[in-house]
Amino acid sequence: MPTLEVSGLTKYFGGLAAVNELDFHVRHGEMVGLIGPNGAGKTTVFNLMTGFLRPTKGKVVFKGKDVTSQKPHFIAETGIVRTFQATTLFSDFNVLKNIIAACYLKSKVRFWEATFHTSNSRKKEEHVLSRALEIMHFVGLDAVKDHPARRLPHGYKRILGIAVSMAADPQLLLLDEPLSGMNVEEADKAVALIRRIWERGTTILLIEHNMRAAMNLCQRIIVLEMGRKIAEGTPEEVRANEEVIQAYLGTGKHAT
Amino acid sequence: MNKRKLIKPLSYSVLIVALLLVPLLITQPYVLHILIMMAVNIGLASSLRFIATSGQFSLGHAGMVSIGAYTSALLVMKLGLSFWLAFPLSGLTAMCIAFLVGYPFVRLKGIYFTMVTLFFTEVIKLTAEQWRSLTGGVAGIIAIPRPNAIIIPGLLNANFASKADFYYLALMMVVFTLLILYAIESSRIGMTFLSIQQSEPLAESVGVNSSGFRVLAFSIGCFFAGLDGAFYCHYLSAIAPASFGFLLSINVFIYTVVGGMRRFSGPIMGAIILTLIPELARGVKEYEPFVFAGILLLVIFFLRGGVVSLPEKLSKIIKRRVAYA
Amino acid sequence: MIAQNLLNGLMSGWIYILVALGLTLVLSIVGIVQLAHGEIYMIGAYIVYYFCVSAGLNFFPSLLISILCVGLLGVVIERFFLRPFRDDVEGAIITTIALILILQTAMVAIAGESYKDIPSPIQGVLTVLGARLSWERLLTILVSIALVSLLLIFINKTKIGQAMVAVSEDREAAALQGINVNRVSSVAMFLGCALAAAAGGLTGAIFDVTPFIGGFALMKGIEVIILGGLGSISGAIIGGLILGLVDGLVTPLLSVQMAGIISLVVIILILLFRPQGLLGHE
Repeated sequence: MPTLEVSGLTKYFGGLAAVNELDFHVRHGEMVGLIGPNGAGKTTVFNLMTGFLRPTKGKVVFKGKDVTSQKPHFIAETGIVRTFQATTLFSDFNVLKNIIAACYLKSKVRFWEATFHTSNSRKKEEHVLSRALEIMHFVGLDAVKDHPARRLPHGYKRILGIAVSMAADPQLLLLDEPLSGMNVEEADKAVALIRRIWERGTTILLIEHNMRAAMNLCQRIIVLEMGRKIAEGTPEEVRANEEVIQAYLGTGKHAT
Repeated sequence: MNKRKLIKPLSYSVLIVALLLVPLLITQPYVLHILIMMAVNIGLASSLRFIATSGQFSLGHAGMVSIGAYTSALLVMKLGLSFWLAFPLSGLTAMCIAFLVGYPFVRLKGIYFTMVTLFFTEVIKLTAEQWRSLTGGVAGIIAIPRPNAIIIPGLLNANFASKADFYYLALMMVVFTLLILYAIESSRIGMTFLSIQQSEPLAESVGVNSSGFRVLAFSIGCFFAGLDGAFYCHYLSAIAPASFGFLLSINVFIYTVVGGMRRFSGPIMGAIILTLIPELARGVKEYEPFVFAGILLLVIFFLRGGVVSLPEKLSKIIKRRVAYA
Repeated sequence: MIAQNLLNGLMSGWIYILVALGLTLVLSIVGIVQLAHGEIYMIGAYIVYYFCVSAGLNFFPSLLISILCVGLLGVVIERFFLRPFRDDVEGAIITTIALILILQTAMVAIAGESYKDIPSPIQGVLTVLGARLSWERLLTILVSIALVSLLLIFINKTKIGQAMVAVSEDREAAALQGINVNRVSSVAMFLGCALAAAAGGLTGAIFDVTPFIGGFALMKGIEVIILGGLGSISGAIIGGLILGLVDGLVTPLLSVQMAGIISLVVIILILLFRPQGLLGHE
């Protein structure tokens, strides 16, 4: 049974369907790419899947549980964690504190234990600290450990965003254009990082505009246009698909 | 290394001892009154800032103070409870009401949340004016009894006939308030509040129930506001709806902003300074609001971080001058 | 009796509309919740009072002078106290609170706290179907309707009016189109304060004038905007009339507090369940 099953997912804004009767699935351990021209509805799909938007219709089933229209924090707790297209970070915290703060799910103690800093809560925080250091090291941000997130160069900010999502220990990681705004060198490092995350056993659904990276990383690609799925298959199949080429190049133009 | 670690607790201990000795050295009731009001204002400003650490500006404190005050007065006068029972119950009442209205209120973001808390204050005030049978209407409640005397034979005889007894009560109340607020703020809970303030969507995406935490911050802050209200009513012995209008909410907001929202010590400084200024400006009482306004404008144009950020700002300016020298 | 209460309600409603329209102009074009808007209303009332009583002018010339003076005052305030905090909610709150303190205290120092009375422009009653309707209140309604109509004509038929609409929808896009956003802000502030001053002057002819009448006006203005929907002129008109009628009918029936409580509870419910108001977008 697939880990993630999306069926009939639909979202209307006024009279316009941003996402229209979308069906797809993701199997455990896969890295699936979600691509499509601008405005195809990819980020909307993420928002719908993770409770940031309410679907007009449709179902999202994760590990056999129906998570449609649940609150974002609940969905995160069941194991789906998403990143954001804009550089969304805890801007006043430094890099390490961002990750520590994001380890929230791992640090839950009772209110009184936290307030009175009992030994139980202190022990948990020690675990959280070592986990955060480990994640920070894994993504390669040790050098900027104390820098306020606000002051990081753009590429580092995107990496921190990924580290933050890892802190929540996702089983399904939704990456929303992680490579946006990166130069070639940064993008290559990020691709290597994403592959390492995947190799550790995390199932990944990846939105990316960077075609090379998407084709390189993903075993399977889903193509959206105007809220509908227009193609699905291996990178080679999708690359050769006429409809996909049309969608990206617009009408009346053929690339040689 | 060991010496450094001792400085902080040592200086706090000295401070506490000094504060405890004050009524023995200063006996003018008027000065004690100022110190008592300062303590109350510190509690109000700190609890308001506490709510703000989760990213919400509340102008509802006046309403919560009012609830605490009326609850305590009614529990003591109509139900015959001891002040020592009514006092915590008033805080809890304010907290429960904050919890109840909190859930719908926190669905609003930004200035809308602030507005709805302002409306809440106004509704409480109008209700107090309207419900004459319960609250005495516009005239309010008078002859509220002093806190029940604490008598430990040979050791303590606090009958609250003098300001000194109220001073100690206020001191204990504000120390309790600050200890709890600081403990929560420096814990994982405080960190979670701050994460919500900086980016609610990001916090949600890593599993934080942001609405729940915002209600928690709001309820705890309002608990201490209610407590202050209960203290007010037994200290002043008379309350009326007019004392709890949105002017009070705005004053508390001003203490917090002027002192500095970013640091725990900010509202403490703000409350101390702005409680003192009306006293120093006794001669020109009519122009006191001008002074307040002037301070607000100074802060907003030149010192956004508030008074507590002054040392930092000065050192930055000095460093810049030195660099270019 | 009912007729008089209805008339009072309609009159209150139109005054609320004037205040709310001024507030919403400043909010959507200058970009600030002008908490000192009530004090502007109060100053408008006082200027009418002084020109009527000290300079011996008639009501309407005084009202006109007040509108112009207060409008100009508003332009100065916008330039120095509001513009720097356009996108800064916290800063805007603080600076407008400072303005409330300054304006109110200045007026107390200048005029004292005692009630002032603006001589009424018209006396007598109109008897219609057995109901005795005060000319004063009818006139207030007519003048308010005239002012709102003038505003609508200005917005729809002049270049600056259209520029104001553009800025209220998207300030950056308007700037890219070559609109001088600062100048449009000044005009909007002028108009907004002018409306508030007119409301203050008209109300002052019927009710007492003190330095503290601003708070109530501000409250009502905010309530109308939330009820009617941010940025919606027709919403402000409908919202104002509803709230005015509630006040006019409930106050004599129950009490002024009950009228206030009912209005506020309705507003709170609207904020929670239909935050865009009755006619707002989104």
